[in-house]
Amino acid sequence: MNQDSHSKQDAREAGERLVNSHASEDPFAAAFKATRMPMIITDPRQPDNPIIFSNRAFAELSGYSTDELIGRNCRMLQGPGSDQAAIARIRAAIAARQNISVDILNYRKDGSTFWNALFISPVRNAEDEVIYFFASQLDVTTVKNKETELAEARRMAEKLVEERTRDLKMALDAKTLLVHEVDHRVKNNLLTIASLLKLQARLTTDVTVAGTLHSVLDRVEALSIVQRKLFTSDDVARFDVAEFARELIIDVVSALKRDDITVELDLSPVLVPAVKASPLALIVNELVGDAVRRGLRDGGGRIDVTVKRLNGHFVIRVHDTLEPADVNVDREEQEFGRLVLETCARQLGARIERGVDGNVNRVDVTLLVGDGEEKTF
Amino acid sequence: MKILIVEDEALLALELESELQSAGHEVVGHAMASDEARHLAERCRPDFAFVDIHLVDGPTGIDVGRHLRDQGIPYVFVTGNLKRIPEDFAGAIGAIEKPYTMNGLKNAVTFLEALVTHDGAIANAPPSLVVAPAFAC
Repeated sequence: MNQDSHSKQDAREAGERLVNSHASEDPFAAAFKATRMPMIITDPRQPDNPIIFSNRAFAELSGYSTDELIGRNCRMLQGPGSDQAAIARIRAAIAARQNISVDILNYRKDGSTFWNALFISPVRNAEDEVIYFFASQLDVTTVKNKETELAEARRMAEKLVEERTRDLKMALDAKTLLVHEVDHRVKNNLLTIASLLKLQARLTTDVTVAGTLHSVLDRVEALSIVQRKLFTSDDVARFDVAEFARELIIDVVSALKRDDITVELDLSPVLVPAVKASPLALIVNELVGDAVRRGLRDGGGRIDVTVKRLNGHFVIRVHDTLEPADVNVDREEQEFGRLVLETCARQLGARIERGVDGNVNRVDVTLLVGDGEEKTF
Repeated sequence: MKILIVEDEALLALELESELQSAGHEVVGHAMASDEARHLAERCRPDFAFVDIHLVDGPTGIDVGRHLRDQGIPYVFVTGNLKRIPEDFAGAIGAIEKPYTMNGLKNAVTFLEALVTHDGAIANAPPSLVVAPAFAC
C-alpha cells in the first residue's frame, strides 16, 4: 500500500467509525444521508483535512462517486475560474476553526461548472477540539446567472444613458452656441442700423430729414436696449420693464445736460414675458420721449415716471409739469409717436388714460391682467 | 483726448469716430486686428482706447486690453457679450455693452473723460457703462 492508499483507508475508516457511532434508526444520520441538500464531513485531524463522508446529493451535484470523494480534500472542486480571494477566505476560516459562508465557482467531474453557495462549520467534541468540519453546498448557478444578466443589463442601460446624455449635451452645446451667435448678430445688426441712421443724419443738410432719421433712430435704440437687457439677465424669457425705464430715462435726461428738467422715478421690478418686451419698451419710450421733447422746447419742468404693479395690474405712469405741445410744431412727430403708442397698447390690450390736473399732464397706461394671466406676469 | 478705436466692424468704427469727434476728441488710430492694435497703441500713444473683444483675428480683444494696461493706457471694452470679459476685466475701467444708444455712449464718454483727465469720481457712472470691480466704489 502506498501513502495515498493509506490516507484513503484512514479516511474511509474514520467515516465508518462516524457512521457506526450512530444507530441506523438515528433520524439525524438518516436525514443527513437522504436530504436533497449536498453535504460532506471532513476530518481535520488527518493530513490535508480529507472528506470522510459525503451524502448522495453531494455525489449527484459533483458527479463524483462516494468512493472517489473519500480521502480527498475539497479543493478538488476548484478550477481555473474559481475566485482566488474566495479560496483564501475558505482557507483562513478553516485554519482559524471558524464558520464561513461563501459563493464560489466549482467544477464537476466532467469539467462543467456550477456556482456553489458553500457553508462550512467546525464540529467540536466535549473537550472543545475541532474533530470535524461540516460543509453544505447549494447550487446557485441560476441565481448567479440572473445576477450576471442583471449586471450586464444594468451596464448596458448605463452605457445607453451615458451615450444619450452625451448626445443631448452636444445638442445643447450646439444650440447654446447658435443662440449666442444669433444674439451677437442681432446686437451687431441693431447697432449697424443705428450707425447708418446716424451717419446719414450727420451728412444731410435738411433739418427735416435729420429730424426724421433721429426719430427712427430713437425707436431703434429703444429696441436695442431691449435686446441687451433680455440677454444680459439670467432669465432670457423675462424682461424687467422698470429696469428698462430706469436706463432709458437716465440716458436720455443725462445726455440733455439741462438743469431745468428734473426727473423723479418710482420704479419697482415688473417682470414680463419676453414677447411683451418690445411693445412695452416702445410704450415707455414714447411716453418719456414725448415729455422730454416738450420739456426741451418749453423751458423745462419736472417728469415723474412710475412703473409698478398696482392691484394686480401693471401701470406705467408719466406725469409732467411741462407745457402741453403746441399743435403747430412737430405735428407729424407728435402723430407718429401717438400712433406707435396706441398700436403697441392695442397689441398688449392696454388702456391709455390722458388728463390734465392744473399744470400736470398725466398719461397712465394700464395693462389689465386677468387672474389667469397674472401668473405669467 | 487722443483716442484709439479697436473694432472690426468698419461702419461701427466710423460712427464711433464721428461721435467722439463731435464730443471734442481726436481719433488717432483705428485697428481691426490685435497686432495692428498693439502696433498703433505704441506708435500713436493714445490717452484712451475703446476695444471690441471680437476682432478680425478672433476673440483677441482681451489680449489687446492686457497690452494696453501694461502700456498704462486706460480703456474700456465695447462688446455685445459681457460674459466674455474675464473677472479682473483685464485692467479695463469697464465695458460699454453693444448695442449702445447715442445717449448712452455720450454719457459714458463724458464720464470717462472726467475720470481720465480730471481724476473724476467713479461714483455716478451712467447705466450704459458697466464699471470693473477694481474701479467700482
